[in-house]
Amino acid sequence: MGLVNVKINGIDTKIEEGSTILQAATQVGFEVPTLCHSDNLEHFTSCFLCAVKVEGGRGNLVPSCATKVREGMSVTVESEEINESRRMALNLLLSDHCGDCLPPCEDACPASIDIRGFLALVRDEKELEAAKLIREKAPFPGALGRVCPRPCETACRRNRVEDSVSICYMKRYISDTELEELGEAQLPTCAPPTGKKVAIIGAGPAGMSAAYYLKLEGHEVTVFEAHEKSGGMMRYGIPYYRLTDQTLKDEFDAIERLGVEVRYNTVVGKDIMAKKLEADYDSIIIAIGAQGASSMRVEGEDSKGVYSGIDYLGKLAEGQEPDIGDNVVVVGGGNTAIDVARSAVRTGAKATILYRRTRAEMPASSFEIDEAIEEGVEIRFLAAPVKLEESGAGVKVSCIRMELGEPDASGRRRPVPVKGSEFEIEASAVISAIGQKVVPDGIIDTGVGLTRWGTVQTDPKTFMTDRPGIFACGDCQTGADIAVRAVGNGRRTAYSVNQYLNGEEVTGEPVLFNSTMGPLDQVSEELFRGIEKVDKVKMPVIETAKRVTTFQEIETGFSKERAREEAARCLECGCDAADNCKLRDYSTKYNADQQYFGGEIRSYQVDYSHEKIKMEINKCINCGACVRACAEIKGFNVLSYVGRGFTTRMTAPFGRSLVNTSCDGCGECVNVCPTAGIMFKKEYRNESKV
Amino acid sequence: MEKTKVYVGLGSCGIAAGAQDIYDHLRENTASDKLDLEVTSCVGMCYAEPIVEVVRGGERIRYGSVDKKFADRIIASLESGDLPEDHVVTTTPEGKEYLDRQVKIVLKNCGIINPESIDDYLSVNGYKALEKAVNEYEPAKIIEIMKESGLRGRGGAGFLTGQKWSFLAGAKGEKKFLVCNADEGDPGAFMDRSVLEGDPHKVLEGMLIASYATGAQEGVIYCRAEYPLAIKRLNKAIAEAKERNFLGDSILGTDFSFHVHVKEGAGAFVCGEETALMASIEGKRGMPRLRPPFPAESGIQQSPTNINNVETYANVPFIILNGPESYNKYSFKNSYGTKVFALAGKIKRGGLIEVPMGLSIKEIVEEIGGGTDSGRPVKAVQMGGPAGGCIPASMFDTPIDYDSINETGAIMGSGGLVVMDDKTCMVDVARYFLAFTQNESCGKCTFCRVGTKRMLEILTRITEGKGVPDDLDKLEELAHHVQKTSLCGLGQLAPNPVLTTLKYFREEYEAHIFDKKCPAGVCKPLITIQIITEKCTGCTACARVCPVSAISGEVKKPHEIDPEVCTRCGLCIETCNFDAIEVV
Repeated sequence: MGLVNVKINGIDTKIEEGSTILQAATQVGFEVPTLCHSDNLEHFTSCFLCAVKVEGGRGNLVPSCATKVREGMSVTVESEEINESRRMALNLLLSDHCGDCLPPCEDACPASIDIRGFLALVRDEKELEAAKLIREKAPFPGALGRVCPRPCETACRRNRVEDSVSICYMKRYISDTELEELGEAQLPTCAPPTGKKVAIIGAGPAGMSAAYYLKLEGHEVTVFEAHEKSGGMMRYGIPYYRLTDQTLKDEFDAIERLGVEVRYNTVVGKDIMAKKLEADYDSIIIAIGAQGASSMRVEGEDSKGVYSGIDYLGKLAEGQEPDIGDNVVVVGGGNTAIDVARSAVRTGAKATILYRRTRAEMPASSFEIDEAIEEGVEIRFLAAPVKLEESGAGVKVSCIRMELGEPDASGRRRPVPVKGSEFEIEASAVISAIGQKVVPDGIIDTGVGLTRWGTVQTDPKTFMTDRPGIFACGDCQTGADIAVRAVGNGRRTAYSVNQYLNGEEVTGEPVLFNSTMGPLDQVSEELFRGIEKVDKVKMPVIETAKRVTTFQEIETGFSKERAREEAARCLECGCDAADNCKLRDYSTKYNADQQYFGGEIRSYQVDYSHEKIKMEINKCINCGACVRACAEIKGFNVLSYVGRGFTTRMTAPFGRSLVNTSCDGCGECVNVCPTAGIMFKKEYRNESKV
Repeated sequence: MEKTKVYVGLGSCGIAAGAQDIYDHLRENTASDKLDLEVTSCVGMCYAEPIVEVVRGGERIRYGSVDKKFADRIIASLESGDLPEDHVVTTTPEGKEYLDRQVKIVLKNCGIINPESIDDYLSVNGYKALEKAVNEYEPAKIIEIMKESGLRGRGGAGFLTGQKWSFLAGAKGEKKFLVCNADEGDPGAFMDRSVLEGDPHKVLEGMLIASYATGAQEGVIYCRAEYPLAIKRLNKAIAEAKERNFLGDSILGTDFSFHVHVKEGAGAFVCGEETALMASIEGKRGMPRLRPPFPAESGIQQSPTNINNVETYANVPFIILNGPESYNKYSFKNSYGTKVFALAGKIKRGGLIEVPMGLSIKEIVEEIGGGTDSGRPVKAVQMGGPAGGCIPASMFDTPIDYDSINETGAIMGSGGLVVMDDKTCMVDVARYFLAFTQNESCGKCTFCRVGTKRMLEILTRITEGKGVPDDLDKLEELAHHVQKTSLCGLGQLAPNPVLTTLKYFREEYEAHIFDKKCPAGVCKPLITIQIITEKCTGCTACARVCPVSAISGEVKKPHEIDPEVCTRCGLCIETCNFDAIEVV
C-alpha cells in the first residue's frame, strides 16, 4: 500500500493508505479522545468523542476513529469548536452515568482522606498500614479522630441501611493502636534537601499540615508560633476533655521530629516582622487562624464579667482557671459555645446557653449537644441577649424571645424578635461564643489582600495570595472553620508551594472529575437491597457523673475487636475503575459538567449473578465495545444492544442475567470497557457476598 | 344483459373507512350475472373514502363516501340503468380542484386497476417498459436515460437516481444486490404503502429495469411488517410475475435473470436509513454505520448494493416507456418530474396527491387540499416527517423543489405534508416529533441517544409551564450539536422540527416560558377554560358532558367552570352551541 499526504491541524504527514484520521493524528502527536474505539475491534463510532472536522466537508464533525484518510485531506483534530463538542458529548454521557467515582465519604472529607481504604485495612487487621494511608492526606489521625465533626459520616451511604460507619473514631483507633504498638507515629522519609526555605506563620492544623508535606518534599521549614505550644485552635479552642494535651503532643511533636523547626512564643509582627520573613525565606505561608472573637453587638458588651469563649478556652488550655463564678450564661450555638458551657460545668458552674434559633439550626454537632445536655447544660432556644449590665458581683442579662422568619442568605430561617417578650437573667459571668474573626495585624505588612470578610484573599485552587510566593491557608483563609478543612488545605497549599519552589507553574493539587449518584436521599433504593443491618459500634465514654468533675478525656476508644467489626460495615462505595476510567480522565481533561443538563437517569440493578463478572448498566455509556468484543474476539454473542431510544442498553438478550448465558468470564468485555459498565468482581468487596 | 363492472377501493385506508363492508354488501346483494365486482386500491381521495367506481360505456363514474344505503342505490341503478348523480366525487367542482392540478405518473394506476391481477397491469402497458429496456437498450443506455430524466431519489435525500445506478453498474463484485426501501415510517406519510397496495407490479418493473441496468441479480424489498396488505399484494405480484417470466431466470427469453423477495422489517424507524436497513436484512440489529464505504462499494454481505425508495422505482417504467423528456418536462430549478405527497393533518381534502415540481405549497394546501377542515386559518405545514421542519403560512409561496424546501429548514423527505391551523401549538408539535425520533433512536450515538432526550426534556418542561429563561439557548445549543455530530440522518435531522419552529415561531416558545401561556391554547398546564357569562344561556349542555363535574350553575343562568377541578379536556367547548366557552 502506498502513502498518502494528509494535514493534521496544519501539520503535514504521510501515512499508509487505509489508515484512519485517528491514526494520522496520533502519528503527529495529537491525543484524540475516544471511548468506543479499541484497536482490537472493528470501528463502531458511537461515542463521538473523537469527532474531528475535515476541511471541505459539510461542516459536520466526523468520527476520526473510522474515517479513512484521503490524499490531500486536511483535518482539524483540536479546536475550540471540537473541544466544545467533546465537552458536550461528555456532559451528555455523564448526565446518564449513575455512579460514584469516589466514595461519598471521601468526596465529603475536606482533607480527601482515603476512608474506604483505611477501613478495609482495619478490617484486614493492618492498622499500621492504615495509619500510613491516612497520613498521605492528613498528618493528625489521632486529633482528627477525636474532634472532627465528621462530614464523611453524614455522607456515608450506610445511613440508608441503618447508620453511618463510625469513620471518625476509627482514625483515633488507628492512631492509638500505632502508638500502643510502636510508641510513636510512623513517619515517611523526607526527600533530600532542596535548599529552599519556607516560613509558616502559625503552628495550628493548617500550618503544621503544610509544614509536614513541605518537609517531606525536602524543603527547610520554619514555623513561627505565638503561643508556647503548637496545635492552634485544636489546643486553644478545644477543651482537653475532648482532645488531650497528650494527643496533641504526640501528633504535633512528630512533625518536629520530621525536622520541622517551630519557634514558639514568637509573634510575627512583634518579635519578627513579616517583611523580614519575606527577605529570609523563599516562600511564606500565612496560617494565623481566626483567633479574634466576633462582637455580639449588644449594649454593655464591654461590661465586667463578660468574656469571649476563645479567651476562656485559651486560658483553660494554658492551665489557668478564670473566675467565672457559678452561674454562667453562654451566648451562641456553635461547637465553641458547647465547649465553653461544658468546660464551665467542669469548673463547678451552672451553664445556660442562649441561642437565637432552634436546635435544628444549631451549627454544633448533634452528639455534642446531647452530651452537653447530659452533663446538665441548659439550652434556651429562641432567645438572645439585648443588653448586658454589671449587677453586683455578676451581670444582668436582658434578653428577648425570638421567632423564625424568612430564610436568610445562609438558608437558615432568620430569627425575629417577638415584641414584648423581654426577660432578664442574672449571671455570674457571660461568655460570648458567636464567632471568630481573623486578626491580620501581624501579616498586614506583607501587603496581601483581604476579602470583605477580613480573610486573606487567595486563589481558591492554589492558595496563593495576590503576592507571588505568599500563600495562606486555614481559618485565616476560609474564615473560622473545622480543623479537617484546615488540615486538607494545609496539604493543598504545600502542593502549590512545592510547585512554586520548583519553579513550576503553580496549578494547585489536581482535582479529578468526580461523578456522583447525588445526595444520599436521592440514591436509588436498589443499591441497598439485600444488605444485612448491623448496629453501629458505640464509643465507650466515662460515666456522666465523673465526666462533669474532670477535664479527663471522656471517650475511651474502641477495642480491637469492635473496631474491626465496625470497619467491616463499610459498603465500599466508589468505583473500582475510578483510577482506570477513560470517561473520568476525559471528563477531567475537558472540564465536563455532570449537572449541565440534569434530567432522567437510567437506573438498573447491578447484575452480580455471574461468578466472575458484574454488570453495572447504570455506568454504561452505550459504546458497545463489550458486545463487539464478545462477538468479534470471543465469538460468543453473550451481550447485545437491547431497546431503543434513551433506554437502549447493553445486556444479555431477553433480560437474562449474565449467569444464564454462555459467558465463561473470559473478560474480553472487561478489557475494552472504557468505564465500569462491566468489570471483574472484586473478592474483597461486599458484592462477592451478594 | 351486459355485466357492469364495479370497482371498490380496497386500500388500507379504504378498508379502514368501511370499504370492505361495502364490497361484501355489493357482492351479497347483487346477482353475479349483473355485476362484475373488482377490487382496486386507493385512488388518493382519502377524504372521500369509501370509494366505489362504476364503469359504464367506457366511462368510470366515481362515487365517494359510499355507505350501504348508497350502495343499495348503486345496485338498484344496475337494474334501472339510471346511475345516481349525487355522491360523485370527480366531476364536482371540489373534485376538479383536487384532481386538476395533479399529474399522475407514479399513482397513475392506483385505484384504477386491480392490484392483485397481473393481467390488469398488463392491460395498462404493464411490463412494456421492461420489454423495451431489455430488447432495445444496452444497460448503459438505460442509465443514461435515467440521468437525463433528472429523477432524484424520492426517499428524501434526493440523490440523482441514474448516477446512483451507475455506481452499482461500475462496482466490482460477483454478486450485486438491489434493494427497494419500503420501510416507510414517517408519521403522516403513506405514499409508499399506497403504491405497493395499489400498483405492486410497477415497483417490480422499476426494480427489474434497475437490475438490468446495473447487473444486480438479487433484489430485496424491505417492507415494514405493519403493512400486511402491501406485503400480501407484493408477494402475489412476485409470484405472478415469475409465472409469466417477468421475474426469475432468463427473463423474456433473454439471459437476464433477477430474483426478488420481500423482507419484512419489525418496524424500527431507523431501518429506513440505508446502512441500518442493510444490517437488518443481514439479520443484525438495525443500526446505522459510517459511510463510506457506501452501499455501492460494500453493502449487503459486503457486496455492491443499490437502494432506492418505492416511489423512485415506480417512476422508472414511465421514463423508459415514454423517454426522459416526457418526464423532465415537469421541472423546476434542479428538480424534475412529479412528487407524491401525503396530505394530512387539519386539511379539508386529505389524501395522496401527485404534483409536478414547482407547484407552490399554497397551491397544494389551499387549492388541492381546500384549506383547513376547521375553516380556521392555516398556520404552517410540517414537511418531511420528524426529520423535516415546519414552514409557516407566510412562506407558502415556496415552490416544491428540493432546493427551495431545504432553504426553509425543512426537507422534501419522503413527502409527508401535515397541515396545521392556528389552534396548533408549535412547541407541542416540536415536542411531538422529537419524542418520535428520540424513541426511534437506535441508541448508538451519544448525541442522538442522550442529546435528543435532553432536548425532549426541555421541550416537555416548556409545554408544562416549567420552562426557564435559558432553556431556549440550551435547546438551540444542543440542537446544533446533535445536528453536527450524529452518524446518520435520524440524528442529524432530528433537531429540524425544533430549529424550524424556533426560527419561525420563537415568540410562541417565549410565551410559554416567560408569560406561562400557550397562545394556541393547547398545552394544558398553561390554559384555563372559562365560560363567557354574557354568551352562556344556561342550557346545561356543557355541565352534562363534563367528565369531572367541574361545571356548575342553575338552568338558564350562566354557568361556571371550577379551574381547580377542570382537566382542560375541551369537551365542553365542543359541546357548547353558543360559542360561550373560551380558552385563555
